[in-house]
Amino acid sequence: MRRAPVALTIVVAVAAIVAVVPLDAVSTDLTDRFAAPSPAHLLGTDHLGRDVLARLVGGARVSVGLTLVAVAGCAVLGTAAGLLSGYAGGAVAGVVQRLVDVLVAVPTIIVGLVVAAVRDPGTATLLIAVLVTGWSPFARLAHHLTVRERGREYVEGAVALGAGPIRIAVRHVLPNALRPLVAHACLRFANVLLSIAGLSFLGLGVQPPTPEWGVMLAEGRQFMFSAPQLVLLPAAAVVIAATIVTVLGRGLERRWSGT
Amino acid sequence: MLRGRVAEAEPDPAVAARIAAELGLDRPLPEQFLRWLGSVLTGDLGLSYATRTPVAPQLASALGVSAVLTTVALVLAAVIGIPAGVHAARRPGGVVDRVVAGMSVLGVAVPEFILAPVLVLLLAVAVPVLPALGWGDPAQVVLPALTLAAFPAALAAQLTRAETADVLGRPHVVLARAKGLPDRLVLWRHGARLALTGVTSFSGLFFAGLLSGSVVVEVVFAVPGLGRLLYDSVIGQDLPMLQAGLLAVVAVAVVVSLAAEALQLALDPVARTSVDA
Repeated sequence: MRRAPVALTIVVAVAAIVAVVPLDAVSTDLTDRFAAPSPAHLLGTDHLGRDVLARLVGGARVSVGLTLVAVAGCAVLGTAAGLLSGYAGGAVAGVVQRLVDVLVAVPTIIVGLVVAAVRDPGTATLLIAVLVTGWSPFARLAHHLTVRERGREYVEGAVALGAGPIRIAVRHVLPNALRPLVAHACLRFANVLLSIAGLSFLGLGVQPPTPEWGVMLAEGRQFMFSAPQLVLLPAAAVVIAATIVTVLGRGLERRWSGT
Repeated sequence: MLRGRVAEAEPDPAVAARIAAELGLDRPLPEQFLRWLGSVLTGDLGLSYATRTPVAPQLASALGVSAVLTTVALVLAAVIGIPAGVHAARRPGGVVDRVVAGMSVLGVAVPEFILAPVLVLLLAVAVPVLPALGWGDPAQVVLPALTLAAFPAALAAQLTRAETADVLGRPHVVLARAKGLPDRLVLWRHGARLALTGVTSFSGLFFAGLLSGSVVVEVVFAVPGLGRLLYDSVIGQDLPMLQAGLLAVVAVAVVVSLAAEALQLALDPVARTSVDA
């Protein structure tokens, strides 16, 4: 498949631009509301006269940045749990895998509602809500990979050389399980991005005036009839970002599974 | 989002003690839990903090609304998704297969909070044929149900396609073809039926998608259902309401998984006769 390298290049290029370009996404200008696209504001302005392009790019930093942090957290927690349950087996595996079975079926939005009821809405609430259930798919995958690798000869060899279980799990099993886990992280990215934007859309996550795609959608919805681009642009940003990283993940999965 | 917050002033100790006694907060935690469990089992879900009225009737009416919305969405999803998946499986890699694959990727990738405003823009603003929000009129069911149906329809199409493609390669289908049965009959009686037993085993995925979808859809379209009730109780810090709503979610999840198993038994004779098939 040719798509994976292309997707990777696009992701890296866009990420570099987004991370570097300085833009003012929060200063308002009430004399210049709902402005049409112009050289000063390439995509026009929103209901408070803020530059829409700057907010979209700022939103990329916040939405994608938060998603990366959340996915990384889920991957680390889930991989640790999966390594533990896969390597320990027995009762530990039983408990971890039953817990995973339950958590993979719990929607993040519902967890987000509960977490927001106990704490104030905000970025921390968002990350907790994603982490509570988000580690479970990684734990399931890491468990299966660990069980598979545990039976291989190099593990037997390491045991014969006197390596302890933690050393074998981290130094020998983990590197061999890493590729499928990275590919899986790309596939989870879209899911987590949509959860984060969705919770922020509902007002339970990132708070205004921080530019975030879900927040922009929620704000734009009030002016949907007069200025539909305020809804359509952040919507397109979410869908495009989710799709590109998913394509990348599928490509990696296919390439690394050797088919 | 603004949240109603009580002023952070020092409360009057006497009033605080009276309210704590009224709510049973001065009792030990195990006793509080047993009291709560006892009253739930007798149908008393407590009073809403927001309206000071019993939670149970509000919950019942919200459940009724969500049941209607979700049923319409599921029927839409089945009517769209299952035939799409079956036809896609007839010729893997063909035009139908590609179109269905593309649509179903979109259906899964476009979340309700994006699909809802887009559908409103298309069907309530650009071509004003449907009301943009509200509940009570049959026309007001269409947009929320369509929004909610997108994810299950896409999921059903993907699963049905995969299962049907698998089933169509099996010996009994080859035999049915060899007997000279018409294509339609082979596809639906021998192929799709068996494929559907595989799809029903993913009921948990459908349920999770519908549940989180209904929160967003009911908030966006101002539908007074269970998702809206959960959302409002979080925003208004209405803990008895939230507790009751979550209890209802869990109860519905259990009923759904039992119903899915019953459906599977009805569709799949093998599951009826052997436990470890």
